[in-house]
Amino acid sequence: MTDIDYKAKGSILNPLKNLQFLGRRPVTQPLEPRPASANYRGFHLNDWEKCIGCSTCQKVCDNAAITMVRIPDIKEDPVNGIRNLRPAIDYGRCCWCGLCVDICPTGSLSLSREYVHTCTQDEIDSYFVLPDSSGMHGTYGHGWRKTADADLVDLSRHPMAHLEPPQRSDNFDEIMLGFTRQEAILEASRCVQCGMCHDACPTHMDAPEYIRAIWQDDPEEAVRQIYRTNPFPEVCGRVCTHRCETACSIGRRGEPVAIRWLKRYAMDAVAPERVKEIAAESKSDYMTGKRIAIIGAGPAGLTAAFDLIKQGHQVDVYEGLSEAGGMTRWGIPEYRLPAAALARDVDVITSLGVRIHYNRWIGRDIDMATLQLEYDAVLLAIGLGLGRSTRIPGSDHPQVRKAVELLREISQGSVFAVPRSAVVIGGGNVAMDIARSLARLQKREYGTVRITACALEDRAHFLADEIEIIEAIEEGIEVLDARGPQRCEQHADGRLLGLKTWKVDSIFDEQQRFAPRYDNSDERFHEGEMIIEAIGQMSDVSVLGPELTELLEWNRGRLKVDAAGRTNLPWLWAAGDCVNGPDVVHAVADGHRVAASIDAYLNIREDVA
Amino acid sequence: MSQELTRMLDTLTKDIAGAKVTLKRARRMRIDVDADALPALLELLQGRGSYVHLSAISCVDWIDDNQFELVYHVWSYESNSLVSAHTRIPRDPGVYLSIYDLYKPAAFFERDIHEMFGLYFEGSPSMEKFILTEWEGPPPMRKDFDAEAWVRDTFTERDYNPEWLKELTDAGGGIAIRPQDIRK
Amino acid sequence: MRPENYQAINHPPSHEYELNFGPNHPGIEGNYALKVKLQGDQVVEAHADGGYLHRGFEKLMEGRLWIQNIALVPRICVPDPVPMEMAYSLAVEELGGLEVPIRAQWIRVMQLELSRIAAHLFTFGGHAATTGMYTTMYWGVADRDLFLDLFEELTGGRVYHIYNIPGGVRRDIPDGYLDRVTSTLDYLESRLPDYDNLFFTNQVFVKRATGTGTMTQQQALEWGVTGPNLRATGLKLDVRRDDPYLVYDEIDFDIATEEAGDAWARTLVRRKELQQSIRIVRQVIERLPSIGGPIRCPIPNPLAWNVPAGEAYARIDSSKGEVAYYVVSTGGDKPYRVHVRGPSSMHAVQVLENLVTGGRLEDVAQIMFSLDACPPEVDR
Ligand SMILES: Cc1cc2nc3c(=O)[nH]c(=O)nc-3n(C[C@H](O)[C@H](O)[C@H](O)COP(=O)(O)OP(=O)(O)OC[C@H]3O[C@@H](n4cnc5c(N)ncnc54)[C@H](O)[C@@H]3O)c2cc1C
Ligand code: SF4
Ligand code: SF4
Repeated sequence: MTDIDYKAKGSILNPLKNLQFLGRRPVTQPLEPRPASANYRGFHLNDWEKCIGCSTCQKVCDNAAITMVRIPDIKEDPVNGIRNLRPAIDYGRCCWCGLCVDICPTGSLSLSREYVHTCTQDEIDSYFVLPDSSGMHGTYGHGWRKTADADLVDLSRHPMAHLEPPQRSDNFDEIMLGFTRQEAILEASRCVQCGMCHDACPTHMDAPEYIRAIWQDDPEEAVRQIYRTNPFPEVCGRVCTHRCETACSIGRRGEPVAIRWLKRYAMDAVAPERVKEIAAESKSDYMTGKRIAIIGAGPAGLTAAFDLIKQGHQVDVYEGLSEAGGMTRWGIPEYRLPAAALARDVDVITSLGVRIHYNRWIGRDIDMATLQLEYDAVLLAIGLGLGRSTRIPGSDHPQVRKAVELLREISQGSVFAVPRSAVVIGGGNVAMDIARSLARLQKREYGTVRITACALEDRAHFLADEIEIIEAIEEGIEVLDARGPQRCEQHADGRLLGLKTWKVDSIFDEQQRFAPRYDNSDERFHEGEMIIEAIGQMSDVSVLGPELTELLEWNRGRLKVDAAGRTNLPWLWAAGDCVNGPDVVHAVADGHRVAASIDAYLNIREDVA
Repeated sequence: MSQELTRMLDTLTKDIAGAKVTLKRARRMRIDVDADALPALLELLQGRGSYVHLSAISCVDWIDDNQFELVYHVWSYESNSLVSAHTRIPRDPGVYLSIYDLYKPAAFFERDIHEMFGLYFEGSPSMEKFILTEWEGPPPMRKDFDAEAWVRDTFTERDYNPEWLKELTDAGGGIAIRPQDIRK
Repeated sequence: MRPENYQAINHPPSHEYELNFGPNHPGIEGNYALKVKLQGDQVVEAHADGGYLHRGFEKLMEGRLWIQNIALVPRICVPDPVPMEMAYSLAVEELGGLEVPIRAQWIRVMQLELSRIAAHLFTFGGHAATTGMYTTMYWGVADRDLFLDLFEELTGGRVYHIYNIPGGVRRDIPDGYLDRVTSTLDYLESRLPDYDNLFFTNQVFVKRATGTGTMTQQQALEWGVTGPNLRATGLKLDVRRDDPYLVYDEIDFDIATEEAGDAWARTLVRRKELQQSIRIVRQVIERLPSIGGPIRCPIPNPLAWNVPAGEAYARIDSSKGEVAYYVVSTGGDKPYRVHVRGPSSMHAVQVLENLVTGGRLEDVAQIMFSLDACPPEVDR
């Protein structure tokens, strides 16, 4: 690079050198529009098939340029996290920053390669646009769009510390260890506050609010938000089936926010005594004088009790067993849900004044007629206490057990001879629970695990959660797919030998009815000193007695209830697994529903009286 | 290098009551000082410390503490480092001394702070309006002035009503969440 | 002042008169006014008058999420927007403890220098126009457009790039991009002799600019002059060297200076800076292909991003001088305070007033342009 002496070189004639330009061709730009660069930030394009109406684009827009518009033709699907809203853009405000594109969780949004839109004053409405995939003018296609290296959504979850197989396989210690404060804040900060989780949750938990509170390092506020809709946060924070995470908009392209673990974190972070105070905050300060009997201290019964006591009613819960929680106490193994965690939830509920009468079986110790007489309303929340049987030949052998019953024995600490080998029939979560519980006992007792689980479904259609299967295999369990149980074989001396299975060809017939077809050429024998049936549960309705059973309406063996959970008898409601199911959070939602209905009924009676 | 600088500044400020020197990172020093000692500090920094370039004076309204913070950013072309001298004064009456005698660029910054925060600098060459010539409202950079509310109260918003929106509204849909609904 | 508020005043008879340069005047980019009082063609008093482009950015920024502000800041200086994005990002990065990946740092340097080139081309055009040489202006604006093409391709926007984000940049360079940068630089280099003939060695310009609006080193330092205007008084001072940011300390370039301190010297410094910027960008083109890695460090979800409490002062050498952002966080999701220090708040006010006073009417516009001040940056 040469530096010229500008002053010295300056001849008066210098500028004339540029006269040569007179002879050059002028630069001419054609008037027709041309596409802008491949990365241009022009007008919005939105793929309506991908867009879920989460409004995240609206939240990040720095110019308040986005309005969410309801499109009646699009079907709402809260369970899968889809709303019928789509963003409309005000180009009088938009500055084409493209932040909306970079944050859109689904990647449906992009910008076009067009430069120009203009109009006269009376056409100003053309500035307000509801973009679909053809955009504003439908020319030139995509410019700026989401790229992996510039995504503003954090697609990966913050991992939680947990026990590895060697640390966990011979004990019932809780596997998941919880978030630290820092981890929880980081995980909570991934949330875009779209509220899809709220819509999908059976009990409509205010998840965006409690996640926000955790992010703001205010766990007490999180607990307050949690208790607005769920008095079983310790339980749900660990074993909930988390429909919220299925609907989470971050989960569209990445791992959903760990909403369930965050709930647990909030509970871990606040002292139980403080939780009780927070839960009691909206308790009515007068008593109505109404009395309600609830049968069953599971999640459904206790949620109803929680609501009703807060509304000022007197609540008596009758529980046949020695502790509260129902299946969460006796079904779900401790390595997933420690009894102490459940006890904290129950403690909060009883601290509000709910009385639980233990070891009282309705139908045996007290009958329904007495309850009807003594109480203003009665709620049946008895769950599904009995296991179903396959009824295959040999299944009446004493060493052929039902999963829920065996799980209850294990939880109660009953002493029984741990089989050296066992076969579990079933491929759902209950099957995994019993298989993994037995595996722990075997490991502890004999040092080795010999358990086979036979699922009817093939691997792609397993009913159990993926993580359950992975962990079961890690713990030494053999998990077989598409095996149909045929016969429980026993030795001449009466000893159980094991299970004979055939390969499953199909499970359902053309009408989608359960009608498994087998290939009997593929027969296998699975050795087992014990066989456990884990193929489903049913309710023990004998509690009702013949008279009531006659009076009540039924629907295919299940008690018939209306949308509010009320039976055809004015004083009797039913909730939870025994009428709806299938999990804790549905039981909680059910509990709220019947409590509202009972409360409304009691208030009307008051008015009449 | 930075260590030496802090030591130098420590010695320099030892006679200034309450002055506290912190090294923030390479080439960035912070000195906290009482309001009445600030001019003396700047004089030292300029005269003995070679901090001859006043890069800016920043004002921060700490309304919850009822204070204004003034930050004097001075640069030394010799030691290539920036000293930010922080001081706080009561929001009421909001009067302080000009440092125009020491640093000429102060004229602009002080006038700007006066206009935007309503803080008066005694001895500054001009406290006249510069940017907000026809503004009669409160100094807008004060935290208690809500610009968005002012805009809402002053201007009317015009709604669009394009064909597509009419059709959707007739079909039972239409506008669901306006941008102002989600702004906190 | 709005026209409807204007009222003619009857002054007593005097040999002095007042003249308004602006708020709409080609002597400066954007809307800005300089009121001068004259005796004959001698300027006796000058008062700068801003506010025509006040948009309240500092206030707006307090009401927006950290990330939303990246769309606002480039608007603070239209002709040279990149330093605004950069200073804001650097300050937030310092507060948030974000490590900008090396690749992004080199891309940032490239942008800064391309922006400097574009800004200088714009200024030359405008400056030439103040002495009646309109061809330079057409050329300058047309050639600047080639750089805007480069920006469009890199950032998705021609003028408001909104390309820098705390933590890095928003997109990687497109395929073949560096080749296109090279060819545009080659083209510009080939054009420099044309510009020299037309403008820089043009005796009309040389004679008009020499000795016009002169300041001494002493004055420049006293008045807070920075950047090319300061270097035109012979001082080798440059934030890129003295307070290095990004990877400037790994880059080879000369600090362009001139001794005279007048309009001519200021323009010549910029002319020399074109070559230095080309040199810097060529180094980036050479290095960038061998620097892998991400273009942005992980940043929190913009909707839930609390930047740790503290304050940071980030400085940049823009085409106009020292740009600095003072950013205060109280640990929330929005800045508590952002103070924008633009070089033009010195150059377009006090310095301009001082330089035109005592000069002549016909030099006012030229002095204004030779300072290359940017009114939107004064007004914010
Ligand atoms: C092994 C297993 C694992 C599970 N894992 C999960 C899981 O991970 N996540 C999840 O969300 N859900 C899980 N579930 C389902 C969940 O436990 C149930 O959906 C939930 O407990 C149902 O609550 P409920 O209140 O309706 O009934 P239950 O929890 O069954 O409670 C009913 C209560 O009523 C009592 N009772 C019954 N009859 C009488 C009577 N006559 N007199 C007095 N008391 C009586 C019972 O003793 C029991 O305490 C699991 C279930 C099982 C069996
Ligand atoms: S962020 Fe994306 S998916 Fe969500 S509403 Fe906007 S465009 Fe649709
Ligand atoms: S491009 Fe920017 S301003 Fe325009 S709608 Fe998207 S976020 Fe809002």
